[in-house]
Amino acid sequence: MDHNLILVIGGGPAGLEAARGTGDLGYPTILVDKRDVFGGTPISAGYAALTPDMRSADEAMAEMIEAVLNHDEIDLRTGTEIIAVSGSAPELSVTLRGPKGEEQITISSAIIATGFQHFDPGRETQIYGYYEFDDVITLVDAEKMLKAGNFVRPSTGEPPKQVCFIQCVGSRDRQIGNFWCSKVCCGVATKEAIEIRDLVPDCRVFVFYIDMRMYGFWEDELYWKAQEEKKVNFIRGIVTEVTMRGDTVVVKGEDTTMGRPMEIAMDVVILSVGMEPSEGTIEMSKLFNIPLESHGFIATIGGALNTVTTSVPGIFVAGAAAGPADLEDSISMGGASAMKAAAFCRNKSKELAAAG
Amino acid sequence: MIRKERVRQESFVQKESVIIEGVDISGQWNKMWEAREITEYDLTYMDKLTDLPGGESMGWCYQCGACIGVCPVDHVGNYGPRKIFRQLQTGLDFFNSAELWQCTTCMNCLRVRPKEVDMIKIIPAARELAVLEGHIPAELQEMFQNVAEYGNPMGESARKRVRWIKELEDETSVRILPKDPAPVDVLWFVGDYYAYHQRGEDAARSMARVFSRIGADFGILGIDEKCDGDSQRLAGEPGLFAELAEHNIEQFNKYEFNKIVVSGPHAYNAIKNEYPKHGGEFETLHYTQFLAGQLEALKDLMTGSFEKKVTFHDPCYLGRHNGEYDAPRNLIQAIPGIDFVEMYRCREQGYCCGGGGGGMWLDGFMSEHVEERLSENRVKEAIEVGAEVLAVCCPYEVSRFEDAVKSTDNDGRLEVLDIIEILDMVTA
Repeated sequence: MDHNLILVIGGGPAGLEAARGTGDLGYPTILVDKRDVFGGTPISAGYAALTPDMRSADEAMAEMIEAVLNHDEIDLRTGTEIIAVSGSAPELSVTLRGPKGEEQITISSAIIATGFQHFDPGRETQIYGYYEFDDVITLVDAEKMLKAGNFVRPSTGEPPKQVCFIQCVGSRDRQIGNFWCSKVCCGVATKEAIEIRDLVPDCRVFVFYIDMRMYGFWEDELYWKAQEEKKVNFIRGIVTEVTMRGDTVVVKGEDTTMGRPMEIAMDVVILSVGMEPSEGTIEMSKLFNIPLESHGFIATIGGALNTVTTSVPGIFVAGAAAGPADLEDSISMGGASAMKAAAFCRNKSKELAAAG
Repeated sequence: MIRKERVRQESFVQKESVIIEGVDISGQWNKMWEAREITEYDLTYMDKLTDLPGGESMGWCYQCGACIGVCPVDHVGNYGPRKIFRQLQTGLDFFNSAELWQCTTCMNCLRVRPKEVDMIKIIPAARELAVLEGHIPAELQEMFQNVAEYGNPMGESARKRVRWIKELEDETSVRILPKDPAPVDVLWFVGDYYAYHQRGEDAARSMARVFSRIGADFGILGIDEKCDGDSQRLAGEPGLFAELAEHNIEQFNKYEFNKIVVSGPHAYNAIKNEYPKHGGEFETLHYTQFLAGQLEALKDLMTGSFEKKVTFHDPCYLGRHNGEYDAPRNLIQAIPGIDFVEMYRCREQGYCCGGGGGGMWLDGFMSEHVEERLSENRVKEAIEVGAEVLAVCCPYEVSRFEDAVKSTDNDGRLEVLDIIEILDMVTA
């Protein structure tokens, strides 16, 4: 008997790419997702356009799903959860619970691609009044309006005249306990700022930031484009708190390069919420017995030289389950994890054959 | 009965200094403070500027602050491209503000800017609009009127443009082309400050003597020459510049010559880079380039020596604007006896004298915005490096630096000389 069945958990960008990789390498693969549709957070959260290339999230994810659909080696299971794991790779017994009930399978290797969840801006602190004020929304809420092509001030339904983003909400915050930079929010906010300026040309858009982290090509493709072509205003200094004056929300903080306090009325305040490990990610770490790293994401071994291998033999991780990741990171990790899982199965099969 | 006016307005007096029983109680009790809190980002004037042809790049600033590190004005005041961006973002009417007139167009920020914010385009574009709207410092307005009316910023009559020649030992050594239009090798564009300013006239005579000694075949436009117009262009009068350029080009076209040699870097920039846009293409050399090109012949004439420690101030419009750093240094270093020393800020990093971009006529205005003049800052540096002589090759600079030597109480410690004056002293 060969050791070659690979289980990919999570059908977002990282999981889709991992499954396509193992399938294309000729390894039978089961791709499971507890949601009823594949596509991961870009689909479930209703993203409009992807960062940085502004491609429609629906279209891009459809292309990724197309690659695994009707694939000879790939068995797709939506609405399916992992409820128990026993044994060890390459003979790992996994219990799935899906629409047709429970099923026990034996797999040789697993790739965990269970992603992240958006920080809940009302959970730890109410300084930005997310649950108090209608006109305070998150990047995710804004995505939904942008996807509908109708960006309005939630309290009135009218097009806004002045909108701001507040960066680093739930990230880089010792008090909240999230020490990390979520990597994508600067790019996503800038992308949304461009979309708002296109959709509501009369609307002024401000981005209040601590540092703009527009790494690689995001610098000129998003940041410079937003500032130079779309006249988005980037203002250094984070908003301290959001209050209400009459029926308008007011952002309060320091304009640091002016060295002056500021207090400005806004029609819409968008909180650039960061990434946290998803429930599924925490769940999988428990079921597969994989340690979490210090920030609470799935730990990998080998540091920068090995981004997908966990300390549990045969178990790999891809995408934001291992820490904040953008789409490019997730896809790259999906490919790398597929290669490592395939190599693991192949080596175990060879050992088995040698043992006779 | 209520007395409504208990305190009469005129009784509010703030003395500059009040000392009572030996205690200084001077205060600022009636000083108006600007609101600290920013309550609006009014982008009216940012849009107005970035919508202006030439003004677009003002909106590209990402606050790195690189420009501030090299802005000569911020070294003595509180001004710089990065700061203007923020002031515009917080509602400053740049077109009706003191900030608009502080840039000397020295181009040092363009050397270091990562985002290509182009103050050399932004400032003239914004000033042009301000001038049209009637917002212009009085000193500058007077200068524009003088140039428009008399063809020179001093408001002197055109006839006096050749006055300096009268004090030459040999007046006939300077050929005035309108009187003697035969072909000539070098058309020397004398310039306003050489023609009209007392210390400039000294330099003009030195130039005539050195040109004669080296055997140059040269002539001048005489009273037909007008201001080159470059500083007027950068100070917001491109229309006036165009008139001046067209006038001078018309005069140039009357004669047969091989090249134009100019006394000043501003004329050099205008004739070399801007006149072609108005139909006049001429081979143009700054006098230091012309003479450095004949260095061996010039050296043979150097019978005297100049036993002094000399430093050199790079003119912004010869150096950064046109890339010439070596010609003046080659001349200085060829002079027998000279002990040449560089200032800390030299060549590409050279500090500005404050005279460019209209600054020449804004000293009164600028005094309200800077702790010391740029020229004073520069003179102190020359003294710090131990120089006895500050050599220059821009006609604006002799008077600027001589004033600065006096105002910084360094009279007698530092002499300001045009390079041509030193060359005149050591050649025969």
